[in-house]
Amino acid sequence: MAEDLVTVTIEGTQIAVPKGTTIIEAAKQAGVLVPHYCYHPSLPSPAVCRMCLVEVEKAPKLMPACVTTVAEGQVVHVNSDGARKARQGVLEFLLINHPLDCPICDQAGECELQDYTFQEGRAGTRYSKDAKRYNPVEDFGPDILYVANRCILCTRCVRFMDDVAQTPVLNVSERGDRAFIGIDEDQLLDHPWSGNVVDLCPVGSLLSKDFLHKARAWDLDKAASVCPGCSQGCNISIDTRDDVVVRLRPRPNLDVNRHFMCDYGRMDYRWLNRGDRVEAPLLREGQRLHAADWDTALDRFGQLLRDAAGSAVILASGRMSTESLGLVRSLVDRLDVTAAVRVPLGEEAPLAGIPHLALRRERTPNADGARLVGYGTDWSAALAAVPRAGIVIVLDAALSAEDVAVLQSARAPVVVLGTVADDWLRLASLVLPVTSMAEENGTYVNRDGRLQRYQQARSQPGMARPAWWVAGEVLGGPGPDADAPATAAEAFDLLARRYDAFAGLSHGDLGFSGRVLAGAGATASGSAGGTR
Amino acid sequence: MAIGVKVLKRPEREASYVRATLKGMALTFRHMFEPKVTMQYPEEKSTRDERGTWTLSPRWRGTHRMLTDEQGRSKCVACGLCPQICPANCIKLVPGEDEEGNRYPLIYEIDEFRCIFCGYCQEVCPEEAIHVGQHYENSEYTRGRFVYDLERLSAQTHAVSTLWDPSDPRGE
Repeated sequence: MAEDLVTVTIEGTQIAVPKGTTIIEAAKQAGVLVPHYCYHPSLPSPAVCRMCLVEVEKAPKLMPACVTTVAEGQVVHVNSDGARKARQGVLEFLLINHPLDCPICDQAGECELQDYTFQEGRAGTRYSKDAKRYNPVEDFGPDILYVANRCILCTRCVRFMDDVAQTPVLNVSERGDRAFIGIDEDQLLDHPWSGNVVDLCPVGSLLSKDFLHKARAWDLDKAASVCPGCSQGCNISIDTRDDVVVRLRPRPNLDVNRHFMCDYGRMDYRWLNRGDRVEAPLLREGQRLHAADWDTALDRFGQLLRDAAGSAVILASGRMSTESLGLVRSLVDRLDVTAAVRVPLGEEAPLAGIPHLALRRERTPNADGARLVGYGTDWSAALAAVPRAGIVIVLDAALSAEDVAVLQSARAPVVVLGTVADDWLRLASLVLPVTSMAEENGTYVNRDGRLQRYQQARSQPGMARPAWWVAGEVLGGPGPDADAPATAAEAFDLLARRYDAFAGLSHGDLGFSGRVLAGAGATASGSAGGTR
Repeated sequence: MAIGVKVLKRPEREASYVRATLKGMALTFRHMFEPKVTMQYPEEKSTRDERGTWTLSPRWRGTHRMLTDEQGRSKCVACGLCPQICPANCIKLVPGEDEEGNRYPLIYEIDEFRCIFCGYCQEVCPEEAIHVGQHYENSEYTRGRFVYDLERLSAQTHAVSTLWDPSDPRGE
């Protein structure tokens, strides 16, 4: 609608944006970054930092770009002498009391104060004769430290707790140059989403105790992924250092998690670094399991599948990719299949200020993807079917002692596609090492039917391969098969040919923000997906 | 087929060794009265006398030394700049936290075999902790001993390099 669009000129670029857009957002669309501290797209703007002042022609003075809305014919200069001088002044004031401790600051390398000072700040200080203000480090809560000296009082954390988490425990205490971020005396920053204040902090003032001193920002390799913590499917970035996952951070996706993720998901990464992994295929020879190569193991798996008669049981983990779940399910299509994913339950913890965002009760990322490819969530029913089954496939499921007892009663061969070298693996006829979600590419379907890709963050241990690769090779039959999927995208294409829910889709269609499956609402309640 | 060998008659004064020997002896003898310039290396490490001046340049970049504070702890805060700048990738650093909450290196190792002695680590260090030093006698019995750990780096006592100063390019 043409009447709702406003044409503005920003740094010489003409751009049409909807009425009511702020200059800072319009500039972003024009490819111009307006330096800012207090502004954040998911928070209300108080315009307190004065960093985003820009020159608007015909305006009497500089305007804060984060709260000034665009007007027809407006001409904005972000890098004019006036705007630059204003920013340099702001930076100089911020640095009067900011300690020069970048070498020991965790934020160094991803610090906005560092970046902007380097870009356009003054080279020297005019305040060196004055002592800097000093405040001790405060412990704000289970995972958060507050280093008052580094604080630039942008108040993003205060606004996050007030307006997004709606648990106002933070405030700005004192005034003027004595101001700092205070916390209510008898309160802790222990809201289930409070970890976001660390990401929001533009400087190193709010720190995660978990990540403290672990790695420098420039050491980290980042992979776009999806949180494996619950069925919400928040977009995350997996940060690794030397092939070890050191932290998870939210990745913006305005349709799912905006810019946030919960503390449960944030801390739930240590299992990705486990060292006790299955690293080679293990074949049963009499009473013992022997390591073997993949060709032998795949032949044995195919033989076990051909020999199986009657019914099959698949006990799967909800952390498996849709490709893996679907293709493993396809292996036993000719049998009577009882397939289930285990869905651990927990407390729901919503983020009040963002609709449809919560740490969900179902603490597994792909229960809905599993439903679409013919898995149920009735774990006990699947267990009950184990003793009568013709073949049992355990797809990386974590088994309790009772589950193992049931597995012991199975007469049929047990095939384990597993990541962790548990004790009960000795029950298996065949153990195949598979990769965890951080070591493969794949897709998850979240509770709203949104199909999202995740990417490999670290290398696979030993001979482990993705479970979809194993299933694809076996589906192709014995011997080399040129059509077996070699990449996750090919595995997904194979999946889309076999399951209606994904028909016509490919990895390329998903991009970085995923795609809602057609008829997601209807299938989410159904137990078994249509298998062609 | 016979090879035709032509035998030349050498002049008498060239065929005799006596003349050449005396010539050589004369040269040797003459040197006994000339100023001595040889530095007796393992015993002497520098000269600054009538033989001339030979000392290690203050900018010489040899094996490393970690400086320590008054309490004997290394000055390193594990900021991670030296492993980042190192063109030979010879510095291994794992940061940690001590009892007082200070950042310090849990592991700090320099592989002196891999080091190219560029001195960037010293130049980049914000705490003036790691230095390349004026040290060149580095023989060891095993290759492994050339990976210097933090303890060994801190125990070094040799003088450190002054590096190249752009405002004084000729070192004067």
